[in-house]
Amino acid sequence: MGTDEELIGRVGVGDQDALAELCRRYERPLYHFIARHTGGRDVEDLYQETWLRAVRAAPRFDPSRRFSTWVFQIAVNLCRDWHRRPPPEPVEPDDNLASTSDAPEARIDARRLLAALPEAQRTVLLLRYYHGLSEEEAAEVLGCPRGTVKSRLHAARERLGRFVESA
Amino acid sequence: MTGCEDALVAFLLDQVDAAAVDHIRTCPRCRAEQPAVRALAVRLAADPAPTPPPTLAPRVLAAAGPLLVRNAQGAAWRAAWPAVARALAAALIPLPAILVFDVALVRAIYSLLGAVLPHGLSLYLVVNHAALLALLLTLTYGAVPFLAARQARLLLQDGYRHG
Repeated sequence: MGTDEELIGRVGVGDQDALAELCRRYERPLYHFIARHTGGRDVEDLYQETWLRAVRAAPRFDPSRRFSTWVFQIAVNLCRDWHRRPPPEPVEPDDNLASTSDAPEARIDARRLLAALPEAQRTVLLLRYYHGLSEEEAAEVLGCPRGTVKSRLHAARERLGRFVESA
Repeated sequence: MTGCEDALVAFLLDQVDAAAVDHIRTCPRCRAEQPAVRALAVRLAADPAPTPPPTLAPRVLAAAGPLLVRNAQGAAWRAAWPAVARALAAALIPLPAILVFDVALVRAIYSLLGAVLPHGLSLYLVVNHAALLALLLTLTYGAVPFLAARQARLLLQDGYRHG
């Protein structure tokens, strides 16, 4: 089917098969990233909007860039906007998330840990820890210097350490 | 030399290299903190990844349909516009020459008629002739945008058939 960059190029000229293949490749990573970023709220809407923005911007995609960092950049921006919105009404726990858990305590812990972080630190931790992006890739996604990625990760570790100690 | 934070973050991300191991071995503070970082990594790793619902991908593809059509139209237009621009240029480039020729023609007719006909009558005929030329030019060049748009449409349709 070709590389991700070739596929998004084909999406730019209206190829639906290329989009289906990209969705298949990135469905889980993107969905997981958004779910962890928002604590499981509005995941499907944000996931869909990520792809719609990607399709809209596909004709302008720079083939010298990596598709993976580009699409994560879109998702990060959407999640940032989501966090800036007014807080939602309290919601019941997400059944979909709960049903996939093997260890509920651990799940709650991890979600609480992530929720304890400021948005910028959480984004860096998600990209580096759960999605295995390098410092350089994370910096590209976030549009910031590598040093900022590093310092945010350090801050996240310290904050989580304190959170665990106090819990 | 790996700093304390770099070493601890390496343990958190499970990206431990020789430098991080060396640092932990020699730094009492990091050695003390390392078990807590490990425990933190275990907690984070225990977070189960939510499964995307099976209806999500078809929904995304359906929602993206109109955008894909727009992308296809844009691509076809980008491919077609040089041909349309060439057609427009081919039509517009001779325009100044045609105008110069027509003005010269009207002047020549006016001087020719002025020699054999009364001034008022020759002027009347020349003005009529000039008006006719102007009308023909307007009709011809007024059709250019419509012809160019039609040409673009044909090229777009051709692009769809072959694309």
